[in-house]
Amino acid sequence: MLLAAVAMIDSRAGALVDRTGTQPGGIGAGFYPFWSAALVFACAAFIGYRSWVTPQPGTAAFEDRAALFAALKLIIPMLVATAAIAWLGFYVVTALYMALFARWIGHYRWIWVVALAVLMPAAIYASFEIGFRVSLPKSFLYDAGLLPF
Amino acid sequence: MEFFNVLGDLAGGFGTALQPFNILMLLVGIALGLVVGVLPGLGGTSAVAILLPITVIIARTSPTSAVILLAGVYWGALFGGVVTSILFNIPGEPWSVVLLFDGFPLAKRKGKPGVALASSFFASFVGAFFATILFTFFARAIADFALSFGPPELFAVFILSFATLIGLGAESPAKAVMMIGFGLLLAAIGFDTITGQPRLTFGQIGLLSGIGFVPVTIGLFGIGEIIASAEEQGIGFVERLSAHVGFGDIIETLGELRKRIKLVISTALIGFWFGTLPGHGATAGSFLGYGLARQWAKNKEDFGKGEISGIMAPQAAADSAAVGSLVPMIALGVPGSPTSAVIMAGLFIWGLQPGPLLFVEHHDFVWGLIASIYLGHLFTFLICLAAVPLLASIMRIPYAILTPFIVLISIIGSYSLNNSMLDVFITIVFGLIGYWLRKTKYPLAPLVVAVVLGDSTERTLRQSLIASGGSPLILVGSPLAAILMALAVVLLAIPIYRTLRARGRRGEAALEKETVATAID
Repeated sequence: MLLAAVAMIDSRAGALVDRTGTQPGGIGAGFYPFWSAALVFACAAFIGYRSWVTPQPGTAAFEDRAALFAALKLIIPMLVATAAIAWLGFYVVTALYMALFARWIGHYRWIWVVALAVLMPAAIYASFEIGFRVSLPKSFLYDAGLLPF
Repeated sequence: MEFFNVLGDLAGGFGTALQPFNILMLLVGIALGLVVGVLPGLGGTSAVAILLPITVIIARTSPTSAVILLAGVYWGALFGGVVTSILFNIPGEPWSVVLLFDGFPLAKRKGKPGVALASSFFASFVGAFFATILFTFFARAIADFALSFGPPELFAVFILSFATLIGLGAESPAKAVMMIGFGLLLAAIGFDTITGQPRLTFGQIGLLSGIGFVPVTIGLFGIGEIIASAEEQGIGFVERLSAHVGFGDIIETLGELRKRIKLVISTALIGFWFGTLPGHGATAGSFLGYGLARQWAKNKEDFGKGEISGIMAPQAAADSAAVGSLVPMIALGVPGSPTSAVIMAGLFIWGLQPGPLLFVEHHDFVWGLIASIYLGHLFTFLICLAAVPLLASIMRIPYAILTPFIVLISIIGSYSLNNSMLDVFITIVFGLIGYWLRKTKYPLAPLVVAVVLGDSTERTLRQSLIASGGSPLILVGSPLAAILMALAVVLLAIPIYRTLRARGRRGEAALEKETVATAID
């Protein structure tokens, strides 16, 4: 609802049909986003009202903490990894991210963890950087000329 | 005469599809589709979305090869999900949920996993084959008809697509409308194509070119699905049956298929029709097929206990709906299912305009795709019959490796299209949004279709109004536009009618109770 309200305020200028004839076809740039946002707003209000009037039993989004933690176990490292790409580059992040999951979730022996951390970025480098010629973000070590990625 | 023209075009299509590189792309697509199909928590739609940026590289040399790859993933995933449902009692894909009802019981209780698998593969193949024949002969006719559409008619087609999603969707209509509004809003971000004004950018330069469709879909499907499945990991015990499809199983299945050939063909035809409706792909088709088989059956009590009709009918309908969902994409520029919405986004990225002009301007592309549907289903069918044990072993890939791998591939996918970290952030944000929408039971199909159609809907509306000098009457001015709009209104009235009827019943029940209570007093 909040999102829709912000979008409606942003495009309010063009919301109404233009009678002055300055806009082609009588509607301006803001007409369409405003009414899309209004649709979202109205539905959100309706759904909110309905769930307030007739609360559905047992529809809590997280029925147990375990489920929430399982989701967070994936979400938090993912957010950290994405944020770290700008500094560490894609390949270093891949190595750390794969290693983290292999050790923490998979409880693999260190030798497998290291193997994954080396082989996965190497495979991605070979297929994307060399094969498809897609340049992925590089680390600060690359900028300093210390690493090729 | 027309018939022979189509056959000539189809022969040309086979010439394209049978080129070695296209066969390679088809096989790669099918293999990937089978892998994601078998794995629960990663669907065909996600795989297609994640692959989109890679197809850009392929499409530089040949868009036909790119679309063959993506369609191959769709066919592979349609078959792959079956293996997981029948052998592990877990749906590998949303469209194979219905196979849990009779597929697993036939495999386990009756001890016939080979027959259960073969039944579904044969039904899929037969269903898809009939659907592809319909596709071959009707898509061109629909496209020719659609060439006469002006902006008001096209706008009416888009409105009808949205109305179908609302009126025939299984979820709450209010939620579907909200998702459509949200999708249209996302599509509106960036420069307005007519006046050049920036919209909803809040001063961010990065948003001026709009929110890319690819990062949004990779987020909603790839990341959203993997978080949702991460949450479900470790819940429940996984039962495993081991199986392969032997010669005896094939003979037995063929016998069963002969008995049910009418059922399989009729559910395939209905599935095809259902698939051509916007937003309804294989999943809805599979449930429809199961419902029809049960309704038509004399032995209703056998359903749920391993009845072969309960495997064949939904499979035929699901595969044929999947093929059908490509028809409006090619002929009208309206996606028939979430997966075809993502494939359609691919067409935009490769510089093609989905819609009736494709048949004229990109003749080879369309017929190459149609021929590849025949080949794709044949290859998938043969691979599946031969390689069930191999497919089942995919389930052994550990979660600790698979999950981070999918996240990384999603990041590469969204980054590589424009070399932009903003796209990666958009993917992650929409991953969280997609996960939350799944949890709160908001439908994703209307959102994706609205994001894809948003620009075209707005453009056709404004072109119509410009042509009419601002009079909205032009939207129902031509008989065709008026009929389409009227149909849309009827579809929108369905949920309202349902609610009112339900309320009426509740009201009557309450009244009856009151009367009884008064009588007792």
